[in-house]
Amino acid sequence: MTQVLLPRALDELWDFLEEDPNTAVYSGGTDLLVNLRGGRINPSRLACLERIEEIRGVRDAGAAVFIGAATTHTHLLENSLVSSEFPVLTKAIRVLASPAIRNMGTIGGNIVNASPAGDTLPPLYALDAEVEIVSRKEAKRMPVSDFIVGPGRVRLGANEIVKGVWIRKAPEFNVRHFEKVGLRKSQACAVASLAAALSLSEGGKIERARLAWGSVGPTVVRSAEVEEALLGRELEIQMLAEVARLVERAVSPIDDVRASAQYRRIVAGRLLLRLAESGCKN
Amino acid sequence: MGEVRRHKRHSEGALHIGASTPRADAYAKVTGAEKFAADYYSSDMVWAGVKRGAAPHGVIKGIFTDEACKAPGVIAVLTHRDIRGSNRQGVVRKDQPVLADKKVRHCGDAVALVLAEDRETLLRALDLIRLDLEALPGVFDVEEALKDGAPLVHEDNAGGNTLLEAHIQTGDGLTAFERCDEVIEGRFETPWQEHAYLETEVGWAQQQNDGKVVIVASTQTPFRDRAEVAEAIGLDLEQVRVIAPYTGGAFGGKDGITVQTLLALAALHSNGRPVKMWWEREESFIAGTKRHPTRLYYRLGAKGDGVLHALAARLYFDTGPYDHLGGVVMTLALEHAGGAYRIPHALLDAWCVYTNNPIGGAFRAFGVTQVTAAMEQMMDMLAARLDMDPLELRLKNALTRGEKTCVGVTLTGSTGLVECLERVERHPLRTERYAWKAAAGPFKRRGVGIAALMHAAGYGTVVPDYANAKIELTPEGKIRIYCGVVDMGQGNASANAQIAGSILNQNMDSMELVLPDTDRTLPSGSASASRCTYTFGNALIGAAEILKNRILQKAADLLMAPSTDDLTLAPGKVVNRATGAQIPLSRLGRLMAESERTAISHFRAPVAKDRLDVTDELRLHGLGHAVISYGAHLAAVEVDEITGAVEVVSYLSATDCGRALNPQIYEQQIHGGICQGLGFALFEDFRVEQGTVKSPDLATYIIPTAPDTPNMESLPVELHEPTGPFGLKGVGEIATNGPAPAVANALADACGIRMFRLPMTPERVLLALRGRETR
Repeated sequence: MTQVLLPRALDELWDFLEEDPNTAVYSGGTDLLVNLRGGRINPSRLACLERIEEIRGVRDAGAAVFIGAATTHTHLLENSLVSSEFPVLTKAIRVLASPAIRNMGTIGGNIVNASPAGDTLPPLYALDAEVEIVSRKEAKRMPVSDFIVGPGRVRLGANEIVKGVWIRKAPEFNVRHFEKVGLRKSQACAVASLAAALSLSEGGKIERARLAWGSVGPTVVRSAEVEEALLGRELEIQMLAEVARLVERAVSPIDDVRASAQYRRIVAGRLLLRLAESGCKN
Repeated sequence: MGEVRRHKRHSEGALHIGASTPRADAYAKVTGAEKFAADYYSSDMVWAGVKRGAAPHGVIKGIFTDEACKAPGVIAVLTHRDIRGSNRQGVVRKDQPVLADKKVRHCGDAVALVLAEDRETLLRALDLIRLDLEALPGVFDVEEALKDGAPLVHEDNAGGNTLLEAHIQTGDGLTAFERCDEVIEGRFETPWQEHAYLETEVGWAQQQNDGKVVIVASTQTPFRDRAEVAEAIGLDLEQVRVIAPYTGGAFGGKDGITVQTLLALAALHSNGRPVKMWWEREESFIAGTKRHPTRLYYRLGAKGDGVLHALAARLYFDTGPYDHLGGVVMTLALEHAGGAYRIPHALLDAWCVYTNNPIGGAFRAFGVTQVTAAMEQMMDMLAARLDMDPLELRLKNALTRGEKTCVGVTLTGSTGLVECLERVERHPLRTERYAWKAAAGPFKRRGVGIAALMHAAGYGTVVPDYANAKIELTPEGKIRIYCGVVDMGQGNASANAQIAGSILNQNMDSMELVLPDTDRTLPSGSASASRCTYTFGNALIGAAEILKNRILQKAADLLMAPSTDDLTLAPGKVVNRATGAQIPLSRLGRLMAESERTAISHFRAPVAKDRLDVTDELRLHGLGHAVISYGAHLAAVEVDEITGAVEVVSYLSATDCGRALNPQIYEQQIHGGICQGLGFALFEDFRVEQGTVKSPDLATYIIPTAPDTPNMESLPVELHEPTGPFGLKGVGEIATNGPAPAVANALADACGIRMFRLPMTPERVLLALRGRETR
């Protein structure tokens, strides 16, 4: 039997964490419970964050939006502020796991779990999101790309938690695209994914480009070289096929039971081609 | 134990053959009231679990159980030394130890059995058992296993690593290829397929005061289990009772022993306390059986006009370390290797081979899925070579009633392949295919493929395929059916109610079902081989007719009618049409003696009468069937050129099922078969490297979800089968055979690539599209 603590406020949580440093913090538990069952972790007790009001929900902060770490994927999917400001994030969550998992799992959990296949991560990278980290004494922010350092590895100290994530509104991006390649349509772990935010001029030229790939490296991949190569160009297939070569060089995928590195590398590049369809629509 | 299923929420009308009556089990299952084997608990229950060898091949030098025995909460730790019986189980060849003695032969071999107070204690105790294994070189490839000098899985097997081999020549055999205008060759590989049922292997057992061991198990085969359990652990047959509730899925994976023997053994050492064993998903993956992987070499020859002339095939089946049903699976595959076509000359060779891989076993469609995947792709490859329409080629060669298959079996029953193909030919998915293909969006390619199917039912020529139905008018006036064949979800228990209800003119509320129980119901064979409703239904018709006559006779006596001519059964009563007098069934039930109101009838299925030039051993393994279902499938697919993903957009099937007793249950069977077939075709890739499972759970072994399944249309082609109950033929398996070849042919139609290895994953498709070597 494992004791499960249900703090209602951060102060209560800090007390629990200081009492016993071997307390594992979780929110929806969709990753933690799998690891517990598999015997990969052995915490002395669990502290659940889902009832702490300060770290739940979506807040409009003017130029940016704050999403509390314990906000579920289902909540985000239904939130109109998120879907109007960050449709790329909404598109990613729509294909994240299954309804049951989306009802439990949270964005904070997806960030801290730091799987290269975490479906919210490529959008958060492409949106230049910042993670807010809090402890009893301080609060700080850092870009999500600095926060995540490797598979399952994040810059989170003892007795710190992720409070939430800040995303600047960026209305200048008029193409917002997400595609996940999985081995089935639902309940699929990404084999490769691409989040893209582009600004197209009226003449169809790319003025700004932010792209992020999931599952093709130890962390989500962004490439300045690729983004620069797109600037000033139009979204047409020939050009995208050329840039796809650069993508193949920028990613560093591995072989695993789901797919080979070779396939992930090829698909990471080819996912760009789908942007040709967006080129005409916006 | 010993419950009787009564049914709620049904309409008032009497049951009819051909009506889509709601399933008798639907309400209880949807509301969670139905008690599956997994739902059996008791207050003083003991948990039993197994220590597995976790090595593909090794000599057991020592099993150290002291520490586990001493752990608090551990009741007993048992090894092969604690078994008094043969310690061997199996269906045809009893080659599988209950608990390994000399060797472990695959990673899932059970070595020790632990009984503990609770599940946590059990898991800790299993970790405390130490095994001293001396590793042996393993054999993991079917063709390597047949070479001289290959490591032997069973040193005492006369055939080396060959469990069973077969060679059939008809007509002129290979020399007929000299007279062919076109010859096509193909080498196909099909993978293991995991049943992935919701309810993993599970059971509950207790030894009663009189020494009898009662086992409640999720099983397809209670009567066979009883005999196997008794022999393996040294009990008399009468000392074992097996009860088989509805299963939470089985699909062949429970066609034989899983937990039953281990549970009975545990029950002998639990001081009379009830024992439960429930495999975790990972354990089910490692220790449970799978669809046999195959390597299939095909050569097909035809005349220039498309008339098939010669077939040569070499079929290799990987049965893992134990027979289980490997030889029988191989033999059914052999019988179907040439499909439902007129092929005058054939040479077919097949081997079922021991390896140190996971255990191959029964899986819905039992070997026919694998050979159909190959043969139906061969037909499309031939059509392409001849520049013929694939459907036309099939029609040209389709067998009709009275003709012989390429192994020499005469089709004596209803034979509706041509009718099935014609239904597909006329369907809009076929007639409008060119327009649909042309409308593909950017980066998409569309294709349409077909497959023609046959699937034989029953056990074949030697093993008797029989059923004994028992039916009773209860003192309460209900009709109680003692079901001898397990309902694993396919709906045969409901079909039984419908058959008896229709004959006795009763509604569902009057029907009671007793599910299989070796003490209460009569031996009627396994729930397998598309035989359940065919064989048991025929027996039940006989029993219901006897009961009907007895009821009417008794009513005539009581009503003082001169004969039964004017009497008729109505829901809940007998009515005299001449006088209007009535007598309720409850009154008749009370007035009739038990022997009078109980009827029993036996049925034995017909077998092929052909004198085939094959070995007795092959006949024993089932060669030669008489009752065969047919089908034609069509898949419309869209291939994504960016990712290689294949989406099945629409799926059509036409099935010669004989009379559909219940169209809704017919459709559910076909849908389920197609979904499992699509899993086999596109998704399910059970990975094993050097005997070790690399896809150990449902996160890595990908089965299709609801969004992955297409719109399915399932047309029944209801040709009357003269030997079937009300003209029915079994359709539990046939639909599983269509998706792999239909989708592969559609993929070839869409992009011109042919996948010789299943499943057709996005990666394999994309790399094939790019002309690269796959992994």
